[in-house]
Amino acid sequence: METERWRLDAQQAQTWHGPTLRDRSRFRWNEFLWSLIYPVRNHRIMPTVPGLVLIGLALGIGSAAYNTASNILFITLSLLLACLILSGVMSSLNLRGVCWRLLLQPPARAGQKTPVTLELWNRKTLLPTYGLWFELTARPVAAGPQRAEATIRASSAEIRAAFARIEQATARAILPLRERLDPGGQARLDWLFTPQRRGVVRVELASVGSLFPFGFLRKNHGTRLRREIIVWPAPVEYRFTRTAAAARQTEGERVARPGASNDLLALRRYQTGDSHRLIHWKASARLRQLMVRQFAAEIAEGFFLWIETSPGGWTREEQFELLCRFAATLAEDLFTAGRLTGAAVNAEEPLVIRRVRDLESFLDRLAVLELPQEIHPSPAKTDVTARTRRNVITFAPEGVRGVAAYTDGEKTATT
Amino acid sequence: MEKKRPQLSLDELHQLRWLLGGGLALISVWTVFYLEIDAWVLTGIATAAILAVLMRPKLPARLPPLAHKLAFPFIVAFFAWDLYSTAEVLPAIIRLDILLLLYRGVSYRKKRDDLQIIVLGLFLVMVAGVLTVSLAFAVQILVFTGCTLAFLFVITLAEAAEGREGPGPGIRGMEHGRLPAWAGGSWRRLVRRLREVADWRLLVLGGALFVGVVAVSSLLFMAIPRFQLENSFFLDRFITKKSRTGFSDSISLGDVIDIQQDNSVALRVDVSDPARIPATPYWRMVVLDEYRAGLLRTSRRLRNDMVMAAQMTPFVTGLLPPARGAPVYWTFYFEAGISRHLPVVGPFYLLRFREPQWVEQQSSLRMTALRNEPVTMTAYRVEGMSTDGFVPDRLFGAKLRSAQRGQVADKPERKEADEHGPPRVVYPLTTLQLPERTDDRQALNQMVDSITGGVRVSAEEFATRASRWLTEMHGYSLQVVLPEGNHDPVVLWMESSLPGHCELFTAAFTLLARAAGFPTRAITGFKGGDWNAYENYFMVRNSHAHAWCEVYDGGTGWFRVDPTIGAAAMTTSRQSSAAEAALGRRLDRSWQARLDAIRILWYRRIVSFDQRTQMALLLSLKETTGTIGVALREVLGAAGASLQHWLQRPWSVPRVLDWFGAALGGVTAVVLWWRHGRSWWWRVRGTRRHGRTDPVRREAGRWLRKLVEGRTERQRHSATSKVEDLDMWADLQRLRYGPRDTWPEPQAVFRRARRARRAARRTISWR
Repeated sequence: METERWRLDAQQAQTWHGPTLRDRSRFRWNEFLWSLIYPVRNHRIMPTVPGLVLIGLALGIGSAAYNTASNILFITLSLLLACLILSGVMSSLNLRGVCWRLLLQPPARAGQKTPVTLELWNRKTLLPTYGLWFELTARPVAAGPQRAEATIRASSAEIRAAFARIEQATARAILPLRERLDPGGQARLDWLFTPQRRGVVRVELASVGSLFPFGFLRKNHGTRLRREIIVWPAPVEYRFTRTAAAARQTEGERVARPGASNDLLALRRYQTGDSHRLIHWKASARLRQLMVRQFAAEIAEGFFLWIETSPGGWTREEQFELLCRFAATLAEDLFTAGRLTGAAVNAEEPLVIRRVRDLESFLDRLAVLELPQEIHPSPAKTDVTARTRRNVITFAPEGVRGVAAYTDGEKTATT
Repeated sequence: MEKKRPQLSLDELHQLRWLLGGGLALISVWTVFYLEIDAWVLTGIATAAILAVLMRPKLPARLPPLAHKLAFPFIVAFFAWDLYSTAEVLPAIIRLDILLLLYRGVSYRKKRDDLQIIVLGLFLVMVAGVLTVSLAFAVQILVFTGCTLAFLFVITLAEAAEGREGPGPGIRGMEHGRLPAWAGGSWRRLVRRLREVADWRLLVLGGALFVGVVAVSSLLFMAIPRFQLENSFFLDRFITKKSRTGFSDSISLGDVIDIQQDNSVALRVDVSDPARIPATPYWRMVVLDEYRAGLLRTSRRLRNDMVMAAQMTPFVTGLLPPARGAPVYWTFYFEAGISRHLPVVGPFYLLRFREPQWVEQQSSLRMTALRNEPVTMTAYRVEGMSTDGFVPDRLFGAKLRSAQRGQVADKPERKEADEHGPPRVVYPLTTLQLPERTDDRQALNQMVDSITGGVRVSAEEFATRASRWLTEMHGYSLQVVLPEGNHDPVVLWMESSLPGHCELFTAAFTLLARAAGFPTRAITGFKGGDWNAYENYFMVRNSHAHAWCEVYDGGTGWFRVDPTIGAAAMTTSRQSSAAEAALGRRLDRSWQARLDAIRILWYRRIVSFDQRTQMALLLSLKETTGTIGVALREVLGAAGASLQHWLQRPWSVPRVLDWFGAALGGVTAVVLWWRHGRSWWWRVRGTRRHGRTDPVRREAGRWLRKLVEGRTERQRHSATSKVEDLDMWADLQRLRYGPRDTWPEPQAVFRRARRARRAARRTISWR
């Protein structure tokens, strides 16, 4: 019997999935027996055309053999059945020892292609693996339950409509393993999918299928491998209505990130390419290694984004979506220009944005922002402005479809 | 990461698929070689065409699309014409099958066409196997299965390489009339690529798979429950087969001799007690009671009696009572194409077939025949068979006297008028029938007088004297030219001094005995045989075909007389003993016998496997299991007793401490192994396998060994080594022992090593 070349450590066991791994870790006889009666979801074995031909031939030859007691026919029948049995064994051996993991590379953005990588690893020592395919699905979590677990009160039309909605929102792909996967070998299969909307998308390896070795049976092995990825809002084009009259301080405000102001932020080791003028000689002498000065950044003007989603203001879903896209685009543009100081959503704790990670957190928040159904108390605008002093950008509907951004109450940009 | 081994491209897979499909079609078509159906021309055409397109896959693209459109109507029209003209269903279907295989073999195929080839081929192989029960079927079905599995495997790989999952419209690039991309590939290149791709793991896997298929199918064959539905096979109704004329119910002089020219095995006999086989067995088949002008035949009345007595039955009872003591079973495997008359040594108690058959039987003649000529090997088992060559028939005398007295003169069948010939004598008067011409009869009477001296002798005595007289007058020869004349040919031969063969001796003796007033009949069948020393059974070849006589002894029955020169005159072999039988048996240890032994194994183990054998196998299994269980119980009982004895011994403190220490040590060892030993074992095993199986590491090791061997010589001639050599040496060592991620390009290193070795050799030879 095949043996695995390497044993997986705990971390690998968490990331890699596969039939052997699951079976080894949690094999229960009662589960196995029960699975024979009530198979696991997505575990399907369907005969193909050659399989149907084989079964038909076996039935015909079997009936002829019993009717005639001809051992020649019994031999032929035995050969056909043996082929069927060994096909199952070979298929099982083919899948055995193969494990896979899903690698997602955030950020994902609505309307843009996002790579999903499926890594395969054949942990068998001797036997290669052939002819697998992997059915991947990507479905927004907010689209509702994938299966109709509770259908007592729903009519069939409603269920069908729900499934149709889910199906419409679900992206599917089948990734074939075109080449042989050698023992101990690894392979990567890539899928570029385009999320349609912002939100949390669940990428799932629905099943692993195979026709190996003779194509008699089409076997699908259901998996429970899922990963979720946050899809940021798609960028939107906007235009400035007037130059933002951001209040400029006489002295630029310093922020705690490396920059070009005169305020010393920190000392760090000398790196190739650093200017010799930045070398802090005293510190270098004290620490016996070259240290350079690092100055704080100075921002000319800082903006604070405040997104208020009171249901009274945002009644149309499309407009609300546009708000999210506009806010995300504006936040990125301001951050790129170094002019974003923070952001807040409704009454939530304001987020100070200094690093890319802070911006990503804000975009993550925007990705899952929903149109509230009930009014929740919002903090007084003065509180926010008191904390951020000035240059607060807020948003409001512009007409039926548009969204406008206001800086300290003055309209600044519209979509 | 593992270095990638080469693998076949999609085009190469298609090439392989094309090759396997054509090969499968050829294997299927070639069943005609042993199916003996008139399709030789078609088979030749199909073979040539399929081989041509296999060699040149571009050829099918030259066929105009119209040819593909007309192909199916043409095949259907051909089948209809074939069926109409020959009126034989099965041969027509087989020719249709060959035509379809031919078409599929020479046209570009989609997946469903590949499946058609498999199904059509399986049909041909299966029909051939059912109709012939030949050992060739076993070989062919194994080859067919292997090729089919490989074919399906390649199809699956091609689909995977194309990125298609599941059944679809077909593999791309296979449309009729369009040249697929792979068709331009060279076979030589494919062979080279296959050699590159071939890996011992794949070969072992393929071999194991094939052995597994055979093993599992053997187990299934034995395990599939059998029950008899009492139906005969249906395919034999759709095909006819003619047997040898020498073993039909009407033979002319020389027919048996024709059979003797054939050395193939006609009959195989398994005997449960080989000591009961007579020294020279005579296998009776056809009783010929009527004689006319050199023609021996079974009289019409007897034939009609047999036809009237025909019945579908799985067994036939003879007139002998069951034997006392352990019965002796004779299992006959009678090849097809010999005769519909079943050979037996003598009267028997029971004859049983594997499956119900239409059987004709003539009890008084002890003659059993199938209604139709068997198209396949016929297996039957005879129980309680007499081997003394005597056929009891106590009623014959009364019948003969009654017929002679003319008590049945008013019955219409007594004398049946032939359409164009003289009135026909009916049985039992046929056993005294003489030539029509009076001068022939007078000649016969004169010969009888010269044999008996005008004295009335017993039948046995007459048989001895007549046989001696014949052997004194004639020699033996297979090439006989009978004298011309209007007289009876046998009488003419007797009057001459020409040599003769068994039929002439038999016919002559028959006429002489009848002329002397002894009812006599001619018998055809086989005489003797060879004992296969490999599997211990009797092989009777067609060259053992023979004719002899049976003479009525006047009261109890018929005794056998073999008047042919060289045979014992009267072989009422009651005197033959088992010892004589053993001595007289002719052992055959030739290669032909060895090959034939495989055939008898096929017949014994496979063809004759039935419910009874299955039950015997199950009982044997049960018995073996029971025996093992009893032995196991005994071992466990003995172990328990010794443990009890050990426990009952007096326990002293040192003994307790010793055993406690040993137990503790054992438990500690088990725990340590469980915790640490297993992982150590996996590591060691993985490392060993890793080093042993990796082809790159193996190759690097080989080069290191070669260079070490070369270095001892080189160092004698060169004090220093080049820097490049040292680098190459380090690279080889890295390939052999280093981690994979630090490997240089292996092929480049091996090339450098090869160059360095050549340079070293040149240096040595120059110096």
